[in-house]
Amino acid sequence: MFTDSFPWLTAIILLPLVASLAIPILPNKKGHTVRWYTLGIAFLNFALTVYAVWSSYDRTLAGFQLSETIPWIPQIGLNWSLALDGLSMPLVVLSGLITTLALLASWRVDHKPRLFYFLMLVLYSAQMGVFAATDALLFFFMWELELVPVYLLIAIWGGKKRRYAATKFILYTALASLFILAAVLGLAFCGEQTTFDLTELGLRQYPILLETLAYVGFLIAFGVKLSLFPFHTWLPDAHGEASAPVSMILAGVLLKMGGYGLLRFNMEILPNAHIQFAPVLVILGVVNIVYGAFTAFGQTNLKRRLAYSSISHMGFVLIGIASFTEVGINGAMLQMVSHGLIAAVLFFLAGVAYERTHTLMMDEMTGLAKQMPKVFALFTAGSLASLALPGMSGFVSELTIFLGVASSDVYSTSFKVVVIFLAAVGLILTPIYLLSMLRVVFYGQSETQLSLDPLGIDAKPREIFIALCLIIPVVGIGFYPKLATSTYDVKTVEVAAKVRDAFPVYAEKQPSKSLGSLPFNAPALVAPPMTNSETLMD
Amino acid sequence: MELFLYKYAWLIPVLPLVAATLVGLGLISLNKLTNQLRKLNAVLIITFLGVAMGFSFALLWSQIHGHEAFTQSFEWAAAGSFHLSMGFIIDPLTSLMLAIVTTIAFLVMIYTDGYMEHDPGYVRFYAYLSLFSASMLGLVISPNLVQVYIFWELVGMCSYLLIGFWYDRPLAADACQKAFVVNRVGDFGLLLGMLGLYWATGSFEFDIMGDRLQEMVSSGALAGGLAALFAILVFLGPVAKSAQFPLHVWLPDAMEGPTPISALIHAATMVAAGVFLIARMYPVFEPIPSAMSVIAWTGAFTAFLGASIAITQNDIKKGLAYSTISQLGYMVMAMGTGAYAAGLFHLMTHAYFKAMLFLCSGSVIHGMEGVVGHDPDLAQDMRLMGGLRKYMPITAITFLVGTLAICGIPPFAGFWSKDEILGLAFEVNPALWVVGWATAGITAFYMFRMYFMTFEGQFRGTDESIIAQLKNAVSPQNEENLEPAFGPGAMDPEELEHDDHGHHHSSEPHESPLTMTLPLVLLAIPSFMIGWIGKPWENMFEEFIHAPTEAAEVVAEAGEFDWTEFLIMAGASVGIALIGITVASLMYRQGKINPSKIAQQFRPLYNFSLNKWYFDELYHKVFVMNSRRLAREMLEIDYKVVDGAVNLTGLVTVITGQGLKYLESGRVQFYALIVFAAVLGFVVVSSVT
Repeated sequence: MFTDSFPWLTAIILLPLVASLAIPILPNKKGHTVRWYTLGIAFLNFALTVYAVWSSYDRTLAGFQLSETIPWIPQIGLNWSLALDGLSMPLVVLSGLITTLALLASWRVDHKPRLFYFLMLVLYSAQMGVFAATDALLFFFMWELELVPVYLLIAIWGGKKRRYAATKFILYTALASLFILAAVLGLAFCGEQTTFDLTELGLRQYPILLETLAYVGFLIAFGVKLSLFPFHTWLPDAHGEASAPVSMILAGVLLKMGGYGLLRFNMEILPNAHIQFAPVLVILGVVNIVYGAFTAFGQTNLKRRLAYSSISHMGFVLIGIASFTEVGINGAMLQMVSHGLIAAVLFFLAGVAYERTHTLMMDEMTGLAKQMPKVFALFTAGSLASLALPGMSGFVSELTIFLGVASSDVYSTSFKVVVIFLAAVGLILTPIYLLSMLRVVFYGQSETQLSLDPLGIDAKPREIFIALCLIIPVVGIGFYPKLATSTYDVKTVEVAAKVRDAFPVYAEKQPSKSLGSLPFNAPALVAPPMTNSETLMD
Repeated sequence: MELFLYKYAWLIPVLPLVAATLVGLGLISLNKLTNQLRKLNAVLIITFLGVAMGFSFALLWSQIHGHEAFTQSFEWAAAGSFHLSMGFIIDPLTSLMLAIVTTIAFLVMIYTDGYMEHDPGYVRFYAYLSLFSASMLGLVISPNLVQVYIFWELVGMCSYLLIGFWYDRPLAADACQKAFVVNRVGDFGLLLGMLGLYWATGSFEFDIMGDRLQEMVSSGALAGGLAALFAILVFLGPVAKSAQFPLHVWLPDAMEGPTPISALIHAATMVAAGVFLIARMYPVFEPIPSAMSVIAWTGAFTAFLGASIAITQNDIKKGLAYSTISQLGYMVMAMGTGAYAAGLFHLMTHAYFKAMLFLCSGSVIHGMEGVVGHDPDLAQDMRLMGGLRKYMPITAITFLVGTLAICGIPPFAGFWSKDEILGLAFEVNPALWVVGWATAGITAFYMFRMYFMTFEGQFRGTDESIIAQLKNAVSPQNEENLEPAFGPGAMDPEELEHDDHGHHHSSEPHESPLTMTLPLVLLAIPSFMIGWIGKPWENMFEEFIHAPTEAAEVVAEAGEFDWTEFLIMAGASVGIALIGITVASLMYRQGKINPSKIAQQFRPLYNFSLNKWYFDELYHKVFVMNSRRLAREMLEIDYKVVDGAVNLTGLVTVITGQGLKYLESGRVQFYALIVFAAVLGFVVVSSVT
């Protein structure tokens, strides 16, 4: 029907944004109109995304597709340029799915519903924009655009400590995003011609110092988003305090922006620095896994426990990114998609339980299984998926990351042994905190009678539908991983080849070539790249 | 026709999976309706499994008649040049395991209909059973280590779900978590070993791994120690799954699950998966002598450990659980001494007689509940039983058959397999034989202790003083008695009420319904006779099942059978079994020796055994408490150090002066909006100009 020139991505990004403008003037007598309107828009947009990918995306190509470029502000070189490739396409689809389901989950928003749905639609657009932007500056604007709705969504509809959590979130992420801006500007002004185009930025050669500083800047910015230790402490607060639909988006999509940024900028554009920093990433990944698992086990608040489990799972993404193998990077990508689905379903179900019990303290919730067997069944399925049970997507991604590290030829054997051993310790800890969560919340005798009537307390069809929409892809990928991996494999292979190509170049300059040894002499993580980009701008 | 059979062999695990999925979806979407159609669901699931059973027997028949092994695979996961395939293999070992698993699962499912008759979770239980069967069948047809690992964890998940089936019982909740976590510890080793082997050999295929590893070790490319380490790490998987020391602690607790699954999962099939994996990994293990001796000694020690604990247990299911641990020890020991066929032979005979023993115990518990009520602490305690042979003749006879089989009395099944293991162990290392031989004596003692306490003598179920004593011992503080909504056997509540009013059955247990006794009788047949196919002088079993490396030797060996040696070995093991039986009879049947006096005399030893060598206490102190403490401390650090430090630097660097004021007054929303507006304004203004 449409030709290839139809601007699919622009449509996908602008539809929710434009539609959100109508919300203030919609008649909303019974409070249902806005809800249905927003849900309709979200679903339409998701359908549009799926159709665009289905009809125009060729998964056998590694490069950008569905590209479109319109000069926006030529003075500063900002282009409205969008495209999809193997790294962004799965995440765009994931965002569409999770945001739509989050809107379906936010059925009972009665406090300022217009503002809520408005912000959700803005957030929808911004997420799509972040993943689809191929202009570094546009990426930054989309990144910033996404922060404000999230901030307000936490600050207005959150739990008891929402103000604190929202402030912490905005401080961390807004501050971190300055590093993106600094690094992007530094890279853009480095060559003869100023450009923000990601492809061109990736083709350039940078001075080692600039590359290192830009890398650190990106690492901090994306690390904060990805909840990289020690920048993770905003996450338990934000995830713990946000309402369930917002938590779904936070865990399901926003965390992935960090991983996506690392792949897109740190790996694709700065492969030389990536070689230097990869061991640091691996170590931080292991720290994330073990530290996140232990702290999760220490939590008594249901959502905070799930939040720390996200920290733990994101560690695998870091390890995969730093593995230098096709398998490992593929696994990192799959881990992002898989965790997006699993974390979303767990946070959603935690919200379902919260709606009934009005508490998130696990020891106050005991014995829920009897009252809500369906929630129990779905929660069990989600937890088992999260602890990387085979037959679910989490297992495939973690296994491929393990295989990626094991078969990596970049690291010394002893380094790999330690990393794999410690990461595998995470596999023991994960069931401990997830199953003990299930045991405390659902098993045993119920001590307090819940206030709601027993007939209406179990999951409603709408809630079962949401959970199944997330669990079915998890199981599908778990049964046949190629369903997901084949959509981006060409791209991850290309990225892997690129970083591997960069490797020997660097090895000559570094006679020791001991990537296995821990380069703690690498520039400290606190080095501010601002100064550098300023000097370069002169 | 045969080709069709092999081509569609993947249907064997898929059929029960389909049934489980159908019923599972029914439960989640049309809960009420599905639960009302109880029998229909059960019939559907049993039928699907029945078809799979027929399929399995056809394959076994074909394999016995010398059809060559068949493998088929497809690409499952790929990343760049890396490919991982899944599929299935049908060879003698697989076809044997398929036949064992499907028959026992089929009979257990029939039994379940009687045992779970009145349980509100009847349909859910069948769905889980079917899911388990699918996973277990998938495990045995796996052609490579990754696929084994996948199904290995899936059977673990089913075990988790089934142990925690009665989720409102706190003990079940603890037990299912413990089982999963302990198994994860084993899987941790298995995963590391698997990755190590992949790193060294670049493959997950059993034969290729073995060949390449051997090549690398002999050519010096890989240190022998490293190869042994990988092998032992892989062995950690079977250690957990087959409940070997030191990861055996989950199995006794797993008895909190309903009895049918104790029979199916925790006696016959899943726990034997460890032995199966060792058999599959034989190409890797066998050339590494140090790994083999680790395996052998782990098995021997576990055999003794399990038996030594079983002698003092009063809970009928716990006793059988420790006996399972002990028997699995025999199998693992056999594998470690190179007695490949003997180990698998014992796996098969044990699967039948132990499944039957467990189902008998379920029948006993079912009968006891009519007298003492739903309390598992009372209904499973042998001190309250006695004389049940009079009330439950079929159960008693089949239990006796199982007892004789496990004690190794000819011509019952266990004799042939256990004797073969002991004979081969003697050739390798007499010390192993001594352990196995002594354990055989203890086995005979505790099994007949169990039999006498349960079925002989006078019925003690109505003795109020014992009941009171047991109740106090179990839960002194639990006076209000939280009545579980549904308990083991889950008898009809009305029936129980009836009993309470003392109309009929109140003081006497009764025989179980036909659906329960029929599987017992059917299982008694193989428990009695299946050993004959492994007669040492005409070993059909070994002709069929032999280690991948020793095809030629077996045929040569078959000709020269040494009668004197056989008679000496068999005489020794039968002799010590008879001694054990005699002692048990003197103590628990004729009452010539007072067991409690002996317990008094050897108080420390008795307590040591009664408290299971204090493993649970030790692990609780060392692992559970420490990991909890560590988690708490880490969380403290996270709150105070990491959060504090980063918060502080963040505040100091960004928010100075004015910003701080906004923060304190909680007006950060405003602040953020201004930043956002500024950025947007900048973009808009520059695009206009």
